[in-house]
Amino acid sequence: MSELNVENRAGAAPFVTRPRRAAYTDIVFAIIGFAILAALPFLFDSKALLDFVIRCSAFGLFATSLNLLVGYTGLISFGHGMFFGLGAYGFGLLMQRANVSIPLAMVCTLAITAVAAVVIGAICVRLKEIYFAFVTLAFQMLIHSVILSWQSLTGGDQGLRGGIKRPVFWGIDLTNHVQLYIFSCALLVIGLLLMRQIAQSPFGYTLRMIRDNATRASFIGINVWRAKLTVFVLAALFASVGGMIMSLFVSGAYPEFAYWTISGEGIFINMLGGVTTFLGPMVGTVLLLILNDTATRLTEHYGIVLGVVILFFALGLRKGLMDFAVDWYRAWRDKAKEQS
Amino acid sequence: MTKTGKPGINRRTTLALMGAGAFTVASPWVARAQAKTIKIGMPTILSGRVAQLGTSSRNAVMLEVEKVNAAGGLAGRQIEMVVRDSKGQPQEAARIARELVNTDGCELLIDGEASSGSFAVHEVARDIGVLCIHTCSEASSLTADPKQHIPNAFRCVRQGIHDSIAGGSYAANIAKAKGLKKWATCSPDYAYGRDTTAEFVTYLKHFAPDVEIISETWPKLFQPDYTETVTKILQAKPQALYSALWGGDLTSYIDQANIYAMFTQMEVFAVNMADYTALTVVKNLPKGIHSGNRYIKTYPATAENAAWGDAYKAKYKEYPTNWSWQNATAVMFLSEAAKKANSTDGKKLAEVLTGLTIKCPFGADGTVTMRGEDRTLVGYAIGWGTTIPNEPYVPEVKSGDWKQIFALEAEWKKSKGYT
Repeated sequence: MSELNVENRAGAAPFVTRPRRAAYTDIVFAIIGFAILAALPFLFDSKALLDFVIRCSAFGLFATSLNLLVGYTGLISFGHGMFFGLGAYGFGLLMQRANVSIPLAMVCTLAITAVAAVVIGAICVRLKEIYFAFVTLAFQMLIHSVILSWQSLTGGDQGLRGGIKRPVFWGIDLTNHVQLYIFSCALLVIGLLLMRQIAQSPFGYTLRMIRDNATRASFIGINVWRAKLTVFVLAALFASVGGMIMSLFVSGAYPEFAYWTISGEGIFINMLGGVTTFLGPMVGTVLLLILNDTATRLTEHYGIVLGVVILFFALGLRKGLMDFAVDWYRAWRDKAKEQS
Repeated sequence: MTKTGKPGINRRTTLALMGAGAFTVASPWVARAQAKTIKIGMPTILSGRVAQLGTSSRNAVMLEVEKVNAAGGLAGRQIEMVVRDSKGQPQEAARIARELVNTDGCELLIDGEASSGSFAVHEVARDIGVLCIHTCSEASSLTADPKQHIPNAFRCVRQGIHDSIAGGSYAANIAKAKGLKKWATCSPDYAYGRDTTAEFVTYLKHFAPDVEIISETWPKLFQPDYTETVTKILQAKPQALYSALWGGDLTSYIDQANIYAMFTQMEVFAVNMADYTALTVVKNLPKGIHSGNRYIKTYPATAENAAWGDAYKAKYKEYPTNWSWQNATAVMFLSEAAKKANSTDGKKLAEVLTGLTIKCPFGADGTVTMRGEDRTLVGYAIGWGTTIPNEPYVPEVKSGDWKQIFALEAEWKKSKGYT
């Protein structure tokens, strides 16, 4: 890629640097993206649109963080939803019981998620492929079972009841729909920007190397286990932020947030949007939510519609939408070059 | 042919033109008044394993809405129902509830969600202030817990605590009469199953202190095979069994327990048996299973209830469910409240609904009440009886005593810290 400088130094691992200008470009794009999103409530008088973007923020962060594992590291996690659930429950419980401010509850939730991710990740990342997938699924079901069983704390299958308080902090009132929307957009943009920096950093390229050939990476001095564990924890933190946004949106937390179907939706979003581009999962999120919202308005047979779309992407395009678009653009560009 | 008459515009033509003009000028208002329907949103579960919850709820609502519309509508406004599938996901239930109000322009909500979905819709009602009637969630805490109280949310559903008190009282009488001291329980392993069973056992022991629970089994929700559960209970050799299994789980359990002749070896109390969803599906319905009523058209034994059940079956070619009568009652409440308030405004309706008593085919005494203190349904027909293999399935139902239910419910609320 043009934004990379790869210097091979004798006796050292490939040293990858990224020009500071590229990072600034990302920041500029993030600011423009945030400005456009922040302007939407003033351009369109639609609460449903704001709800849609809030949900996109929650699922977008979740799906993009999953892509750090699936697309960048080659770790197909079937249990990533547990961190989405942990975020929702951790934040909800702290707000309901500890009577703390929203920023403090968010920081504490991230700390809880990090601890859980380190423990679970330390076991899971030693495994490869299907074994990794199944052990992450097993941990997810364990956490889901704990949520169901620990009724005195979590409310069992009825979830956290009584609503989540949203006290004003730094002049931000999240009981106001527009402010909740802008807050969610800010979390989305900051989250995406941070993940972009991770993906484009030397560490991000180490992950790609591990994905392509973990043995080779190991031979050139990379601690594969540590790198995998680090990205596992980082991805968990961003998924947790997604869960917090969702808990703010529904003013509660429910066991379904930590169920395997949430992880399944994350995988499906990645399939829809594509895993080879950074924004693929975000595009997949928008597509899935549009599909979901449209299909449930028009038919009760949502599953059939979803199945047909999966078949179209799996058998027709054989890749995600962004992957297809990028490949098509490259083919078109190469053809244009040849002709010129 | 020659035309006769005076030249120019005659009186009749003038009147006709004036009439046409008036109609032309007034028609937009007339049309607008006619088109001014009131939309009622209904998030519910229309797909998946409990899709029957949503479809039978929707059917009952539509049956009643047709009657209300034929009688002139809600305070003169025709009702248009907007029903959406949440797939049983709470975040979808919340999303759909918000969309129904904010985008589709629904002014009222009938919440046909179960369990966590109903709590999610409750939070939407709290957030945006729309009048909401819960019609499917039996979780007592939805209205018993004061943290859940909001002036715009009501619950038109039977409650686990009411069933447990009525069931405990009925079962204790049988236990005393037949000397049933050793009991086993078998209920689904989730909040409803565990809470309802614990409450039933509490009240069974309250009325019959000699009773002892010697075995507990907690099969998973939607478990396909009950062999292990059945054999465990048979090995414990209880004299009686209580179960809060429901729907397909209950019918599968009975079919599999029949192979082991379980129902000849002990008295069985299944709170959710007397519902057509279970009664008509079991292959060989054993005689003598004790059950609480869910919905059967023979209880309450009134012409109104039988007529309602028959009308439902005639329209939809199947019997109504427990969810059906609850949803139908919600529409009856709205209709009566709109008449009294002469308005469809949510706040005015909520004021009238609080403490409102209406005539209802599903009432214990022909009426049901939306109790004011916790905005929940009371006075509905609640009773227990024993099954026979064919219609009417539960020929004699012994009614629960609402005075006793109220007294023990008040104690239960205190014990939970709700009052």
